[in-house]
Amino acid sequence: MDLSFLLLQLLTGLAYASTLFLLSVGLSLIFGAMGIVNFAHGSFYMLGAYLLFAFTRGQAEGFWAGLFLVLAAGLVVGALVERLLIRPIYPRPEEYQILLTYALLLILEDLVRLAFGAGYRSFPLPPLFSSPLFLLGAPFPSYYLFLLALAGLSALGLWAFLYRTRLGTWVRAATQDREMLEALGVNVPLLYTAIFALGIALAALGGAALVPLQAATPGMAVDAVINAFIVVVIGGLGSVWGALLGAVLIGLLQAFGILLLPEMAMVFPFALMALVLLLRPWGLLGRPPAVRT
Amino acid sequence: MKAWRWILAFGLLAGLVLAQGQQPIKIGALFILSGNFAGYGKSGSQGAQLAVEEINARGGVLGRPLQLLVVDDQGNPEVGVREARRLVLQEKVDFLFGIDSSSVALAVAPLTDEYKIPLVVTHAATPTLTEQCRPYVFRTSNNARMDAWAAAALAATLPVKRWANIGPDYEFGRVSWQDFIARLRQLRPDVEVVSEQWPRFGSTDYASFITALMRARPEGVFSTLWAGDMVIFARQAKAFGFFNQVRYFVNPVGAALEVLAPLGKETPEGLLVSARYWFLYPNAERNRAFVEAYRKRFGEYPSYNAQEAYAGMQMLALAIQKARSTQAEAIRKAFEADGGLVYEAPEGRKRMRPEDHQVFESLVWGYTKHSPEYPFAILERMRIVPASDTVYPTQCKR
Repeated sequence: MDLSFLLLQLLTGLAYASTLFLLSVGLSLIFGAMGIVNFAHGSFYMLGAYLLFAFTRGQAEGFWAGLFLVLAAGLVVGALVERLLIRPIYPRPEEYQILLTYALLLILEDLVRLAFGAGYRSFPLPPLFSSPLFLLGAPFPSYYLFLLALAGLSALGLWAFLYRTRLGTWVRAATQDREMLEALGVNVPLLYTAIFALGIALAALGGAALVPLQAATPGMAVDAVINAFIVVVIGGLGSVWGALLGAVLIGLLQAFGILLLPEMAMVFPFALMALVLLLRPWGLLGRPPAVRT
Repeated sequence: MKAWRWILAFGLLAGLVLAQGQQPIKIGALFILSGNFAGYGKSGSQGAQLAVEEINARGGVLGRPLQLLVVDDQGNPEVGVREARRLVLQEKVDFLFGIDSSSVALAVAPLTDEYKIPLVVTHAATPTLTEQCRPYVFRTSNNARMDAWAAAALAATLPVKRWANIGPDYEFGRVSWQDFIARLRQLRPDVEVVSEQWPRFGSTDYASFITALMRARPEGVFSTLWAGDMVIFARQAKAFGFFNQVRYFVNPVGAALEVLAPLGKETPEGLLVSARYWFLYPNAERNRAFVEAYRKRFGEYPSYNAQEAYAGMQMLALAIQKARSTQAEAIRKAFEADGGLVYEAPEGRKRMRPEDHQVFESLVWGYTKHSPEYPFAILERMRIVPASDTVYPTQCKR
């Protein structure tokens, strides 16, 4: 195999990984800090895709402003959902979270269908990235470079936030001991709202960033949430770096796997997930559950 | 006294008959109305609705109006069977109708024997459905094998030796490719297969598949990607310059309006596509009137699924008329009699093969081309594959 092709395949795998990372990192963050299993995560990703349409009226020129508006809208919607729907059920058993977020998934799908119709909505590539690049002679969509950069910057930003800011220290502390954090005078309910809003905003941003390459449909939420769960189960539920690792592994496995076994493409992510569950049920970078005494 | 009794009995009987005459013939339709394929279910139910309204406007069938009950099967076999049972047992429908997904159609088909209820399938395309030889299952559209054979007939005329495939990884994709390549090898023994790609049905990322395909340097690619898969694939492949490299891209469901409309001006030109019906063909009074009526009623152009559901409903009405009954055995005979029921649909003549209840019809292909008159790509350089080129033998006996 020639070098240019291997490079091309590597980049397409990483570009796919970028999309998976944006989709799943919020799910992992929310679970890690708050213990919420958010089945509606893919719905906010879908919402981001549709909001980009609404904000830009489908015009490629409005893309960049649209991305910022989607990010802002994601923060607002995330904060509202946490405050109004999630907060009342913290004291309840975990089944309530699952039922509530699943109901949210169904409701959002119907709302989107009412507002935008059942068909597919496609969005043109933004003018800056509308023509392919040539890598050692092979054409490659320049938009993938933007996706790579967006995922890279998001990962870097999250790292800086979690490890270099006071707020980030609190978020990490919240995963360890909520009561102690409250005793130290931190407003934990407000912190939870902020974490949830951030996780949702990242998903919405991911959905909006993907529309120029894909298409928005009301059913995309279910596919997205399945992909997100595969990624975080492989990487470790609750671990931000696990989401990154899981996304990259799936992206590369897909890109190179189909060269060797094109017949098996569909099985790769599930096979990897099964393998990880057998060897390390808490995920590659997750923490094994503490033994309760 | 006796005469009075007779008059009363006769009056009651007449009343019953009259009431019977007013009672609607109930048709329970199953379509996908939620999720990624809801666009198809919407056009299918609209086509059926238009036919019912036209039939009722001319006085119904056997003096009774048709009543359409549309339910959402979600493309899920379990839901489909549950809803079909409910339609038969609670709603007391006389017929089952529609069905987009092949897996739902195969799951619902056994109910036709259980309850002696005829099922008219207008979209689900797996050849298996009519190969089961069920007495009360009728398919009024062509199936996937006929699409694949028509594609092979056209592919054999192209200057292409190196073929590749990309299709969704489930029965429809696999069976279509097998039918296509086997038929093509009969017609052109010199063709070779350079790559086969099988993305998951409902994939959202085709990049790795696209680069793998392009690396194999095929001259022609056969694809059964449909619905959102085709929308997403076309956009990503275009970004890779795929359509500049691959000279012939052949897709037997690529001209579905549910795909062309959302792609809009982004549809690549020069794809060789079909869709079981194309609203601009034939340019005849019958078709123009149908397109006009459909646009007036729903404000959009009829997709293939809309036309097939419309035609299926009209064929069912014809069969009821001919049977002078809604009873399953009489309907079967009406569909089978005189060498099979014939209907002049907007798309042309549909003839049902009496043995396996499969309709045969000519298939329309063409190359995608943008035109200022439509916001989506239309077909040019039309290629009509006659029904006789897609007739395969059947094991069913009647």
